[in-house]
Order: sequence, then structure tokens, then C-alpha cells
Amino acid sequence: MIAEFTWLIPFIPMMCFLMIGIFGRKTPEKGGYIAIAGALLSFLIALAISIEYLGSDEFANGIAIESSIRWFEIGDYTLNLGYYVDGLTCVMMLFSSFISTLIFIYSIGYMHDQGERKNRYYAEVSLFLTGMLGLIVSSNFLELFIFWEVMGLCSYLLIGFWSFRHDNGDEASANAASAAKKAFLVTRMGDVCLMGGLFIFLNLFHSLDYSAMFESVEAVAAANPGLFTLALCLMFGGVIGKSAQFPLHDWLPDAMAGPTTVSSLIHAATMVKAGVYLVARGFPLYVQDVNVMLFVAIIGGITAFIAATMALNNMNIKKVLAYSTISQLGYMILSLGAGGYLWALGYEELGALGFFAGCFHMMNHAFFKALLFMGSGSVIHGCGTEDMRLMGGLFKKMKITATTMLFGCLAIAGIPIFSGFWSKDLVIDTAMNAFNNGADGAAIWFLILWLLAVITAFMTAFYMFRMWFMTFMGEPRENAQHCHGESPKTMTTPLIILAGFALVSGLFMFFGLTDMLAFEGEAIDGVEHGIELFTNPFTYMTIILAILGIGIAYMMYVKKTMDPGKFNKNGESWLYIALTKRWWFPDLYNQISWKLGYGVAKGVNYIDRQIVDGTVNGLSSAVVGGGDVMSKVQTGHVQDYSSVVLFGVSVLSVLILVTFALLGGF
Amino acid sequence: MSMILSSLILVPLIGAIIALFMGGSREAYSKYVAIGFSAITLIIATLLMLGIFGDFADLGESFVWIDTSAFIMNYALSVDGLSILMVFLTALLCLLVNVFSLDEHRENNNYFYALIMAMEVGLMGVYMAADYFLFYIMWEVTLIPMYFMISWYGGPRRHYSAIKFFIYTHVASLVMLIGIFAMGYESVAAGGVVDFSFEAIKNGIGAVAVETQSLIFALLFFGFMVKMPSVPFHTWLPDAHTEAPTEGSVLLAGVMLKMGSYGIIRICIEALPEAAAYWQWVIIAIALVSIIYGAYGCIAQTDLKKMVAFSSISHMGMVMLGIGCLSDAGITFAVFQMFAHGLITAMLFMVCGMTGHKVGTREIPLLGGLAGKMPIYATFMMIAFMASLGLPGLVGFWGEFPVIMAFYEFILDNDVIWMLLFCMLSLMLTAGYYLWAMQRTLFGPETKKIDLSKAHDVGHYEFAVLLVLAILVALFGVWPDGALQFIDDYVDLLAFTGVI
Repeated sequence: MIAEFTWLIPFIPMMCFLMIGIFGRKTPEKGGYIAIAGALLSFLIALAISIEYLGSDEFANGIAIESSIRWFEIGDYTLNLGYYVDGLTCVMMLFSSFISTLIFIYSIGYMHDQGERKNRYYAEVSLFLTGMLGLIVSSNFLELFIFWEVMGLCSYLLIGFWSFRHDNGDEASANAASAAKKAFLVTRMGDVCLMGGLFIFLNLFHSLDYSAMFESVEAVAAANPGLFTLALCLMFGGVIGKSAQFPLHDWLPDAMAGPTTVSSLIHAATMVKAGVYLVARGFPLYVQDVNVMLFVAIIGGITAFIAATMALNNMNIKKVLAYSTISQLGYMILSLGAGGYLWALGYEELGALGFFAGCFHMMNHAFFKALLFMGSGSVIHGCGTEDMRLMGGLFKKMKITATTMLFGCLAIAGIPIFSGFWSKDLVIDTAMNAFNNGADGAAIWFLILWLLAVITAFMTAFYMFRMWFMTFMGEPRENAQHCHGESPKTMTTPLIILAGFALVSGLFMFFGLTDMLAFEGEAIDGVEHGIELFTNPFTYMTIILAILGIGIAYMMYVKKTMDPGKFNKNGESWLYIALTKRWWFPDLYNQISWKLGYGVAKGVNYIDRQIVDGTVNGLSSAVVGGGDVMSKVQTGHVQDYSSVVLFGVSVLSVLILVTFALLGGF
Repeated sequence: MSMILSSLILVPLIGAIIALFMGGSREAYSKYVAIGFSAITLIIATLLMLGIFGDFADLGESFVWIDTSAFIMNYALSVDGLSILMVFLTALLCLLVNVFSLDEHRENNNYFYALIMAMEVGLMGVYMAADYFLFYIMWEVTLIPMYFMISWYGGPRRHYSAIKFFIYTHVASLVMLIGIFAMGYESVAAGGVVDFSFEAIKNGIGAVAVETQSLIFALLFFGFMVKMPSVPFHTWLPDAHTEAPTEGSVLLAGVMLKMGSYGIIRICIEALPEAAAYWQWVIIAIALVSIIYGAYGCIAQTDLKKMVAFSSISHMGMVMLGIGCLSDAGITFAVFQMFAHGLITAMLFMVCGMTGHKVGTREIPLLGGLAGKMPIYATFMMIAFMASLGLPGLVGFWGEFPVIMAFYEFILDNDVIWMLLFCMLSLMLTAGYYLWAMQRTLFGPETKKIDLSKAHDVGHYEFAVLLVLAILVALFGVWPDGALQFIDDYVDLLAFTGVI
């Protein structure tokens, strides 16, 4: 049984973190090769375990392999440490470790000029990977939460990687420092909610082990519906924070202050995927409550839409990608929400389809988003800016980067054959299914969500190709002219591999992926649903919308036959300003944290100094009599010290009298 | 009768006396005396904890000290699962503080080390005492060296802070003394001989009316809560910390504040369980106010050390919250939080104290970008801050999560589940002030408001000490059972005797 060694999967990167931290400085690339070796080894073990599990009887019967040991007790509740392997675990750990390996290889090229800092970088990314892999193989929610927080710490460290001594000067350092803090605090808000959810679950289930909870979930949910719903909502709060869902989405664009490889890691292989994973992992719990599932779907749909709007007019290549990540995460959450909604209503096959679509999109997105980010990193590496207005015409200079990124754009835009098409259309399909089968009143929500999802698909195609055209087509502008050609092989090889996945990973659904991502044994027929997509008129509609989006982008940014200025009144229209201001979310956050945090703190401090402490000082002077006792005793004269003693004695006598009077001693 | 427990008091006492008389030409060697004797103490404490001397519960010592016709005072020491962790923590921090101070030069070193060792005597006495009088005497013994520590080796406003510290906590201990007297005389029939040993009073007090017990509880509790400190009787703490030397702050926050919570558990809860149930809501309220108020206080501070001082108020509030739940889990993890906070806060004060020495100021608005200049210092600061804000995997989390879990069960039973919001708010605020402080001190552009040219990274001794603490913080973070095994025994006993 190789599965017994599942614990090695997070343990190896952990050891790499320690090794790089302790003596990485002395190794070539400051520990880069250790990090790559660790990630690769983890991937290979994950692969071996997956192969073994997929061939086992457990998999055939839809049972997970799990094992855990006692850790310690909180009162009557025993907490365990262990691993839990099922199809979802396999998919997650495979793509996380695989993509991380590629990102680490890419880092060798991308970070080559960072000198001593590389040591810190490789140590931190290894710990990051530990967090993600640990979270995936955990056997209970508390263990998951611990790794969840470890990832939060790493994202803080890595987003703030340049928070001091930034190459671009002081302002950039200050920006990075502020972005790192924002990322940590905003996700922390979600984490605190998640912790609240765990308290309730631990109390309800007397355990946080997946197997124990999933077994008794129906009885518990029926016995305590109110608390159960509250716990689910709180748990989803954690997802909102971590997976950057509305309204806590705003930290993710700021997180672009970190190195591009880190963005790639956060967006593709780790971090934000953790939130989606939590919903998928907790799906047996979620499907108990149909209203929570509706709520989840609504949050997902709004997020997908809002984030896509903000990507429409952004000039920063990384920020466009950041918004697209939020938007795609919205799709995943929407799909899980709608699927769970259907399942809760008893439509098991459609529910399982939604579950599959969400997880499937998560996997596809991991491949193409890693590709897009690393491609943008290659562009930034080549021309030293993130501003697309300074790029252009790079196709001739960076053929590999441009072609691979084109694959990524086609995938995310949902052009057939490319991976994004399959999963995205299944997501949109699920929203439609939920509308068709939903209960009265709630069903209309899904029509709106479906509409939002379709519009989002159109916007996605537009802004992704806007990005691609602005970067690679047209006349080379300022920085593009100084571009020194294609990036080194360490950077382009991962791009080529990922481009391959962006092309084919969607086809996995025809080759057994549906069995791995089955929910409660309800595996959908991948071939049937894949073919069904082409009999559905709505599929053709989204394809046409995507092509239309690409076409408009082409007219605007290559042919220049359409002037974008006409639509936004040259940047004066309120909509344009609203988008640039990110719908005023950052201002809202600032106001809230400033008023509720610093404002109240100022008040508390004033009360503390003037009233609480003032009373004490005033009281002591009054008892000793005359003047400020504190200034007196500073003189050090003996009679002043004696006044202190006198004070003590007088207080003592009064208290003795009072006490004994109360006790009836006299 | 074995003398192991007494040796934990005697060894530092001898060290203190020797160091005291090493003036003049021998002054330079006083530090080695202090390190030597505190190291021996730590070895004894560790062996004791590991059970090398046999079960430490059997090592109790007791003989009559003063016997008058009206009362008996004993020299009685004992150690159980509750005190062993505190004893270990005291021995550990005293040694670490002595080593830590090697990187710094000061006048009259011998007095400095004598004061540290004298403090160790008092602390050991408090944590091992099994007699109310011995407990009270030792309690006062800790007070005096700390007073001199602040007023001789402190910052510019040291006299004010020292005297404030002294009066404030002294008044509180006088109130506690009244409580002790009341307890003693109430626990025997009129005219009987009062035996001040813990055992005797515990046996006698049960028969007393609950109203009387509640009054005694209030007196004792007041004495302890000032020491912890709890809002609104906390204002001596930020002042004392701002002025105290780093070593003093570490001992003050690391082990001295725990005397308060130790007293609450050992005396208020153990001997007066019915009164504790009577005051439960008051304890909870004080705890919640301390947690939130302390956290808000942190945000407003501009002095790093003062911020950490306020965070102590908040975190000791967490201890109080655990105690206030009066449940198995609550008390277990309140004790764990005492231990965790001792380790973390020692790191915090060392790092913040170092800021003052190495950069010249602890004012956050004047700092910035120190991570580039002092990377090792920055790493330790980050570890300490992260541990203190309750990052899972580090020890602080296990002082926080289970306590709130225990509190959740309490509010669930009382149908006030919205009170969970307070805890969530406090977790947010804690993350907020630490992250904000880090952003302003470690990151961003390097400050130009002060001269950083002389700033240097941590010294060898400081590094060693911080490393030991960081390892312990991580070790007990992944292996909380290491400390919990002791606490569990104690709490099981409490549950067995029907206290909780």
C-alpha cells in the first residue's frame, strides 16, 4: 500500500522548506533545485498513490482510503491527524504538485537576477506547497484549517516579497507591504468565520473527521437545522475570503505586487483553489441545506460577473489576469452552488453534474491560468513593464510566449476543443438546469445567474483577447521596442507543457475523470454529457458570444476600426470610472477598517489614558493628600515613600473593616 | 523527606546572594554566577517535569513553620500538573533572560543579576506554595525585585512607572491578604486553630455559607485580576513595560502575570467552586472586555513595547475566558494559554526591546523597512507576531481555538450564541494590529527619520535565546500534548473532586 505514505506528500516540501532555510544559501540557485526536487517528488508520490487508488476496490465502491492517529483532546472531543484519499484528493494533489513543479522550474529563469533573495523565495514557495498539499490530503477540517492558515501566511510573505528594498524604489516597497497586509487581513476575515463554523461543527458532530461527519450528517442536520445552517454559512465565509469571492474579492488584484511566479502559484495551483476545494470537500454537508446552496450560487454568479467587468478596461496585464481568476472562481462556486441546490432537491444526476463541472473547471483553470500568468511573466521579463499600453507587437519577438498564451486565451474564452470550453459550458448548463428544475421563487435566481454567466463568458473572451492583442499585436510601443527577445528555456518549456494541457485537459472528461470527480458514487457519463453539449442550442450561443467578444477586441485593438474611446467617452463615463475605481470596494474597505479599527482604537486609548488611568492617579493623590503623589515620589525622599506606605495601610484598614463587617465578624 | 522542591527555591536564592556581593572587581563575573545557578534550576525543573525524581506529585514537602495558639503557618511546597508548567516556564525564562542580557552592557551588573535571581525565588515560591502564608510572602517577594528592576534599570519615566507598579499591585495583594485571612478564619469553627495550609482550608471552607464564600472569592479575585491584569485595573502594566528593561519585561509578562491566573485557578476555583459559579458571568464579562479592550488598545499604540503590553492584556483575557467557562476544556486550555503566552510574550518583548537598543527608538511611526537592514531580527519578530496572533502550527493557536471552543459551548448552553462575535472580532483585531505594526516597522521604504547607519542585527546570545524560544513555540504548536499531558492530569482531578 503506497497510500500509507500519503503523509509524505506535504512532508517532503516541508523538509525542503527547512533545508532551504537552513543551508539553501550554500547550494546552487540558493535552494531552487531543492524546491524543484521536492515538488517533483511529491508529484510522483501523488501519482503513485492515485494510480494505486484508482485500481483499488475502494475506488470501485466509491469509498475513500483514510487513516488517522489521535492528536489531542479538547474536552470530550478527540482531534486527529491523518490523510484522506478519494478521487477529488487525487485530482487536486496531482494538478497542484504538477503545476507547482513547473512554476518552480520556471522560477529558475524568472528569478535569476534576485541574488540572495532567491533563498527566501524558494523556502517560502516550498512552505506554500506544503500548505496546499497538506490541505488536500487532510482527513479532518481542523487539519485542513491549519494548512489553510499556513498558506495564508505564505501568501502574506510572498505577496510582500518585495515589500522592502524593491528594485523599483520606495513606493513599490510600500505598495507591496500594503498589499501583503491586505491579503492577509481580508482572507483572515474569512478564516475567522471558518473557525466559527468549525466550533459549531465540532460541537454538533463531536468530531471534525470527514468520514465521521459525512456519516452522521443527515441526522445532525435534521436535529439542529438552525445551527447547522449557521455553521455552513460561516464555513462559506472562509471560502469567500480565500477564493476571493464577492464581497471579499478585492485583495486579489492587489496581490499582484508579488513576483509573477507567486501570482501564478496563488491563482493556479494553490491558495484560491483551496476555497473551492473546501466547498467540494464539504459538499456532503452543503447539500443538506438547499438555501445555503442557493446563497453559494448567488455569490458565485455575482463574483463572476463583477470581476469580469473590472477586467474590461484595466491596463495592467497581471491585473487583467487577476480579475479573470476571480471571475473564473465565481464560475466554480456558481457551479457547485447550483449543483448542490439540485442535489438537495433530489435531482442527483444533475447535482453530480454541477459538482463535476465545478471541480473540472477548477482543474482546467489551474492549467490555463498557470500558463497565462507565466506567459505574462515572460512578457514582463522581456520588456520590464506590466503596463499593456507600453507593449504591443511582441509576437515577432516572443513567438513561443505569444503562441502559448494564445492557447491559454482560447481556453479561458471557451473556444471548442480547448479545455475551458468543456467545463465552462457545463457550468452554464448547470445554472440552466437549476432554473428548469428549481423550486418556485428560487428558480428565477438561477435564470439571472445563468444570464450573468453567459454575459461573463462574452466579457471574458473580449478582455482576454484585448490583453493578447494589446500585448502581442500592433505596433511595438515604448518598452516593447527594447524587448530583448524570447525568455530562456527554463521559462518557455513549462509554457509549452502547459499549453498542451490547455488544449487537451478538457478531453479528460471523456477518459474517466468523471469517475474520479463523482459525488457520493454518482458518476456522470462524461461521453454522454460531452456530446450532449453539442446538441444544446445554448452552447452554440455561448460559442458565438465568445467569438463575438474576440471579434470586437480585434476590431478595437488590431484593426482599430472601432474606437474604445467612443464607448467610455474617453474615460469620462461614470461606468468607466466605476470600473477603474473597482466599484469603490477598496475605498469601502479603507473606510470600514479605518473607522471601525483605528477610530475606535483612538477612542479606547483616550478613555484609557484620561478616565481609567486618570481615576487611578487621581484616587492615589486624593488618598495621600495634596499634590500629585507620582511627582512627589520621584524625588526619592524618605517621607514620600512613607506616604506610599501610609496609603497602603489606610486602604488596608478600610477594607479589613468592611470585610469583617460584611462577614459579621464583629 | 526529599528536598527537590526546596532546591528550586534555594538554588536561585544562593545565586542571588552570591551575585549581590560580587561588586567591584568581580562584577564582570556576576553574570556567570547568575547563568550557572539559573541553569542548575532549569535542569532540576526539567528533570522534575520529566519524572526523573519519580512522580512529582509525591514530592511535596511540608512542616510547621510558625505555630501559635491561634493559627498555624506551614512551609509547604507541592507540585502538580498545574504548577509544573509554570515552574518549568519560570526556570526556562530566567535562564534565557540571563543569557539574553549578555549582549548588553550596563552598570552595576551584579545587582541586576541578583534581582533576576531574587525574582526567580519569589516566582518559584508562588508556583509551588501549598500554604496561604507562604504563597502570600512569595507573592510579595516577587514584587520588590521587580520594583527595583524598573526604578534602577528602566527608561526615562522609570520612577513613576515603578512606584505605580508597586502601589497598584501592592494594594491588590493587600486585598488578597484580607481574603486569605477571611478564608482562614471562616474555615474553622469559632475559637479553633487556623491552619493556613491549602489542604486544611479547602477542607474547611466547604461548610461555609455560599454568600460568605462569594465575598471571599471577590476579595481574592480582585487581587489576582489586578496582577493578570484585567480591565479596568490594567493601567500599571503598559507603563511598567514601557520603562522596564527588556529582561524585566520578559519576566514580568512571561511569568509574573501568570501568578494572577494561577492564583485564580489554584485558590478561587479550586477552593471556592460554588462562589466561582456564582461569579461566572462577571468573570466572563471581565474577560471579554479585557480581550476586546486590550486589542483596541494595541491598535492605538505607537510604542512597540506598549503595543505588546496591551496585547498581553488581551491574551490574558483569553486565559480568564477559559477559566470563566468553568469547564474541563476551558480550564485545560486556559492553562495551556498561560504556558503559550509565556513563551510567545518572552519572544515579543525581547524583539521589541531589541528595537530600542539597536535602532534607538521603539516609536512605530519613526521606523520602517527594517527587514532589509536586519533580516534575522525581522524573521524573529515575524515568528513572534504570527505566534501571538494565533497562527495554527504555532503554540498560540492552541491557547486560542480551544478556549473559544469552550466558550462556545458555554454560550450555547446559555443561549447567547451571538457572543461568539466578540471572539471573532478579537481575532480580527489581533491580526490587524500585528500586521499593521509589521507593515510599518519591517516593511516599506527604509526609514529616513532616524539614523540607521549604526543599526546592527541580533547578537550571538540574543540569537541563541530567540532560536530556543522559536523552536519551543513551533514544537508545542505541533505537539500540544507535550504540555497538555500535565494539565490533563490536573483537570481530571478537578473534575473528579467535583470542582468543575
